[in-house]
Amino acid sequence: MSEMKKIPLILDGDPGHDDAIAWTIAHASGRFDILACTAAAGNTTVEKTLYNALRVCTLIGLRVPVAGGCPHPLLTDLMVAPSVHGESGLDGPALPEPAFAPENIPSVELMARVIRACPDKVTIVSTGPMTNTAALLLSYPELKDRIERVSMMGGGLGFGNWTPAAEFNILVDPDAAKIVFESGVPIMMAGLDVTEKALILPQDFERIRAQGTAVSDVVWQWLEFFYTFHKNIGYAGAPMHDPCAVMALIHPEVFTMRDYYVQIETNGEYCRGATVADWYGTLGKKPNVTAIVDVDRDAFADRLVALIGRYKEMGA
Amino acid sequence: MNRMPIWMDCDTGTDDAVAIMLAHALPELEIKGISAVCGNAEQEKTYWNTQRVIGLVGARYPVYRGAERPLMKPLTTAAHAHGQNGLGGVELPVPADAAVPELPAWDALYECARQYPGELRLIATAPLTNIAIAFTKHPDLPGLLRDMLVMGGSAGRGNITPAAEFNFFVDPHAASVVFRSGVKLTMCGLDVTLQAYLTRAQLDGFAASGTRVGRFVSECTRPGRKLVEKFGLPGFSMHDCCPVMFAAHPELFGGEMAGVVIETRGDITSGKSVTDLYSDKQFPFKNAFVVLKLDRERFISILTERLLSLG
Repeated sequence: MSEMKKIPLILDGDPGHDDAIAWTIAHASGRFDILACTAAAGNTTVEKTLYNALRVCTLIGLRVPVAGGCPHPLLTDLMVAPSVHGESGLDGPALPEPAFAPENIPSVELMARVIRACPDKVTIVSTGPMTNTAALLLSYPELKDRIERVSMMGGGLGFGNWTPAAEFNILVDPDAAKIVFESGVPIMMAGLDVTEKALILPQDFERIRAQGTAVSDVVWQWLEFFYTFHKNIGYAGAPMHDPCAVMALIHPEVFTMRDYYVQIETNGEYCRGATVADWYGTLGKKPNVTAIVDVDRDAFADRLVALIGRYKEMGA
Repeated sequence: MNRMPIWMDCDTGTDDAVAIMLAHALPELEIKGISAVCGNAEQEKTYWNTQRVIGLVGARYPVYRGAERPLMKPLTTAAHAHGQNGLGGVELPVPADAAVPELPAWDALYECARQYPGELRLIATAPLTNIAIAFTKHPDLPGLLRDMLVMGGSAGRGNITPAAEFNFFVDPHAASVVFRSGVKLTMCGLDVTLQAYLTRAQLDGFAASGTRVGRFVSECTRPGRKLVEKFGLPGFSMHDCCPVMFAAHPELFGGEMAGVVIETRGDITSGKSVTDLYSDKQFPFKNAFVVLKLDRERFISILTERLLSLG
């Protein structure tokens, strides 16, 4: 794996337990040249997600520039999800205080800076509302062609979660999602269609706990915390929504993917935030999305456990 | 056998035609009246097509005229699926003795419901414009019906647009009126109706039966078969036969109660039947039985046997 060229990457998310696990496996994989982390408003406010981002990077030993993003969606007020992630946005185990300061520029400037400085096209992993990426495309349209793709967690081709029609990340900022989906930048979409199947089960928690590193200890407690909310609404395990967007770049072989033309509903009484796939090609449009629709759950879980296990060698 | 009184509201339409013939042929059901509405074709066509179809099977049912346009938007028709005449290009004669009652659909349905309070089952296989007008004009009508069975909507994918099924897309506002009405509702959406298909070989079997009805079923599906090929479907779906079969043979179907609302304001989702089967925060109501499963083999077997029994 070390001989493969590393993928230059920006991690944009709203950590958040599953964002934090996504970043943890991204760093462990060695497959990426992580250029920056940017915090989005979503699961909680951007002040809190920035603080969480710095704590997560400190925990996993990822020392890259970190910046805070847009404080609210493009056109609306922020809606947060304390029921899932707690008041801090990352409740559960104690985390180290940030060992370094954030960049003194907004996320859109940091993204633009690292993209310009990178000789290769940059991949953006977006695991929160897509406000920061939309802001980048609006502010620096000339950088569009420097983006390899956006691998995102959000939406659901078959159904929603926060409303029957919409998934949380898209629902928070459908207008931003529409801008990104219509931009022409290739999208890899980990929607609820797959992420609800990418469950980490209680027996997997134990495998992670047994690794006995500082990181695995925290990941195990994140999983326990995240699972408590989901167990109460009938899940057999913790759905690894955001890690799918990273795993799809590391181990695409565990997923089933299909290309669709996908639009975002930004209006509607009930459907705002819906990701609408043109299943039958009725609209005659070229696909803009590679949608991840299924996962080999056991293979996914094994790989996730193994990636977290790498912190033994990494000494964290 | 005590036949259950039913009312049919149709935009006839190829599969509406087959649904009417099926209802006529099922011994469990007794048609008390049929109303026509615009949809697959203009109301003028769907009205006379309905008369033609009951003429073909030698039946005498009163057929009432209904709405010529959706409540609030211009009409979209489906000539691509049902042919210009609505019957897949099959020419059938209008019965010489066809009578055109004075009463409009919404009042005729209401009178019938009052005649069979708590018994009448309303089967709608069309945009719900007539029913929305009836429910609005006669607010006690939903409570007078035993129940209502609809072909329309989808818990998942659409057909006329990626998000919406044709009947609800044509008149989303009318569908919204019905789903808010409190009527006891069974929704046969694309989730189940796409399972209710006849294969090419089964359609050829109808043609080879040598019966008038068999020939009609095979012939009228010709324009639709092209769509079947285009979309890679396993056969020609008898969408509108599903609520009719459900009324007589509910044991062939499976589903669950769910909250269903109709999107009327979306840019790309207008007419979507938003069905709350999976969300974390459930709607605080369950207003429809959403049909999701079908014993296809038995469905096709009963459908075929009953239709061919008509000769």
